[in-house]
Amino acid sequence: MSAVIDENLGSLADVTDGAISIKDVVKIYDPDGAAVMAVDHCSIEIPAGEICMIVGPSGCGKTTLLNAIAGFHGITSGSIHLDGELLCGPEKPQAEPGSDRIVVFQNGALFPWKTNLDNVAFGPMMAGKLSKEEIYDKARSMMADAGLSGNENNYPGEISSGLRRRVEIVRALMNDPKVLLFDEPYRALDSLTKSVMHEALLEIYYRNKVTIFFITHDLEEAIFLGHRLIIMSSRPCKPKKIVEVDIPHPRDYSVLTSPRFRELMNEAKDVVHEEATKAFEAGEKEG
Amino acid sequence: MPDPANNSEILSALKSAMPFQMVPGNLMQEIAAICTQESYEAGEKIYDLGAVADDVFIVAYGSVRHTLSADTDASKHEKTMRSGDVFGWAAVLEGQSVRMAATASIERTLVLRINGKKLIKLFESDPAVGDVVMTRFATLINKEFYVPRSIADQVPGFKQALNASNLQGSEVTTMALTVYRISTWLKSPRPYLMLIGFALFLSFWMLSVEIWKLPRFVDMPGPTEVFTEWFSEDPYYGLSIYTPEYYKHIGISLQRIAFAFFLATGLGVPLGLFLGWSKKFREYIFPLFEVFRPIPVLAWVPLAIIMFSGSETPVIFLTFLASFFATTLNTMLGVESIDESYSRAARCLGASRWQTFVHVVIPGAMPYIFTGLQISIGVAWFSLVAGEMVSGQYGLGYVINTAYMMIEYPKIIIGMITLGVVGYITSAMVRMMGDYLMQWRVRELALGDN
Ligand SMILES: Nc1ncnc2c1ncn2[C@@H]1O[C@H](COP(=O)(O)OP(=O)(O)O)[C@@H](O)[C@H]1O
Ligand SMILES: [Mg+2]
Repeated sequence: MSAVIDENLGSLADVTDGAISIKDVVKIYDPDGAAVMAVDHCSIEIPAGEICMIVGPSGCGKTTLLNAIAGFHGITSGSIHLDGELLCGPEKPQAEPGSDRIVVFQNGALFPWKTNLDNVAFGPMMAGKLSKEEIYDKARSMMADAGLSGNENNYPGEISSGLRRRVEIVRALMNDPKVLLFDEPYRALDSLTKSVMHEALLEIYYRNKVTIFFITHDLEEAIFLGHRLIIMSSRPCKPKKIVEVDIPHPRDYSVLTSPRFRELMNEAKDVVHEEATKAFEAGEKEG
Repeated sequence: MPDPANNSEILSALKSAMPFQMVPGNLMQEIAAICTQESYEAGEKIYDLGAVADDVFIVAYGSVRHTLSADTDASKHEKTMRSGDVFGWAAVLEGQSVRMAATASIERTLVLRINGKKLIKLFESDPAVGDVVMTRFATLINKEFYVPRSIADQVPGFKQALNASNLQGSEVTTMALTVYRISTWLKSPRPYLMLIGFALFLSFWMLSVEIWKLPRFVDMPGPTEVFTEWFSEDPYYGLSIYTPEYYKHIGISLQRIAFAFFLATGLGVPLGLFLGWSKKFREYIFPLFEVFRPIPVLAWVPLAIIMFSGSETPVIFLTFLASFFATTLNTMLGVESIDESYSRAARCLGASRWQTFVHVVIPGAMPYIFTGLQISIGVAWFSLVAGEMVSGQYGLGYVINTAYMMIEYPKIIIGMITLGVVGYITSAMVRMMGDYLMQWRVRELALGDN
């Protein structure tokens, strides 16, 4: 992690793809007539290559928004565009899932029945555009770049959860996605492993700049990783406050003890706390 | 007596270290017991180049500068070790007795020290785990330090100690796993308890029939009589391991089982997969299925005899029936059990619906399918014997039934024991087939508990 670091690593200037535009999105769940409004006229603009951290209390509707972008379910009204192209909107309530937007799941979704290498090669193998040799060569070299060599022929169940998360990110990057969608991927990890994962994620990000839409309810994680924090209101979810994290990238763990970090932490904390209290009083369960 | 608070600190630091993450709890405790904690102030030296390599270190918190000697062939000589990182691995290398690097703490740092020799000794007691940890050491050394394979190759292997314990490489074979299983089984108390169980049963049988001659057991043949008959070259009732007749019965029963079992699998697995996969299909078929499923096989006997002519088809039909329901139902449950994230992930990665079916649904349902097949082979024997007792010319069920009618009681027992043994073998074969097809599970389980 002490590789030569160039000043440009944090800059978004050279990233052209992956701008997400969320406009007036509303999502109402309607199981047997009991309407639940999960997202309420939510608008967010995410520039290409940004690490955008979505922070909000449990059950506020963050996953709902992420699933709408990924195309796992439709929206009630509003629209979502990726690089100016419509993903979902008035005529097309549900986006088509695709390899330009790849989700890294909360509990991890590496296929346990495929070796790590087969997992990494999965996307291109399904697309069938390259030959098997080309795909596996690329998979091996991407795993090596991410410090994963030696784990190719193991199954996901045989490696540590930290390594599994890394394999999953590499599997996504194999498809040259424009956007990575993270749904609280490090929630279940202890704080030690988490800190290692954060640095590894940034390291990967500096090498492959893609837009990152990252849901979390851990403020420290949010400020450490993000260019920007979007703090959501309690359900129904919409942006409540935006915090620009002006700590320059590349970052490492020394950032955590810097005075600016503390300031940003305090700035965000009050809003988050207020929303969490509202959510708690409304009796929200973990979503 | 280890201080418990301290002990849990040591354990959590151990668990954060990559090579030790898979070590099962009891061995981890033993490792923790040989760990010592030591703290260093900022800038303090931990060890020097060329010092005696006795201990392996794990950073619990803080950070350590690790400088490899200039004459090692590493591409990156300097590295910062943080919590969870392992260094000082010269202590576990074969033929490497001195330090190849100098280390000093950068800030206030707490490390765990583990004596290399003691660690290797512990691993020798559990070669399977030792091998995994050592392979990870080798990977770590290779990856983090870019040193040539030759150094990583000094990591002691435990493979010689237990050929079958190579759970890390991709070349795990079913044979090796079976050997491994048997060897761990023999080390556990289970086989001996099992023998005691058999011995108790046999002595109870012997005592009640041959010695005490309990009234309820007057007509019951005793073990001596049964075993003399079973192993006699000239059996009194005409059935023993020396008569071709005996094997013909076994052969025919097996043939019927095989036919019915493969038919049930061939139809039940695809049906179950589609029932689980397509909601619409399920709505048509499943209610029908649920009405038929609870009908006991025995209730089908008359209908089977009326429907099918001859003596062979009804028996096979009955055997097939129960197997088919068990297989279909479990396969369907298997599909339903698959975490939605997997099919979503596949869709994100660009898989079509059909590709998702092939790469996610089928392998994801596999554990349940094999549970289903285990049940299936069990109920197949059950229904076969029922069928053979009513209809049929040969087979173990037929042996038991005719022996009863002819008052050849030892033959009943011979038939029963044979059924038990043959039934056990077939279900073991199904399990081995499952292990062969689901290496990923076997390896997870092998790492998880032993
Ligand atoms: N499929 C669904 N049907 C009905 N209500 C749902 C469904 N999924 C989520 N919800 C509800 O919508 C709200 C937001 O859920 P979610 O997006 O998962 O929250 P978050 O990810 O922020 O914790 C919660 O109140 C949850 O109960
Ligand atoms: Mg959620």
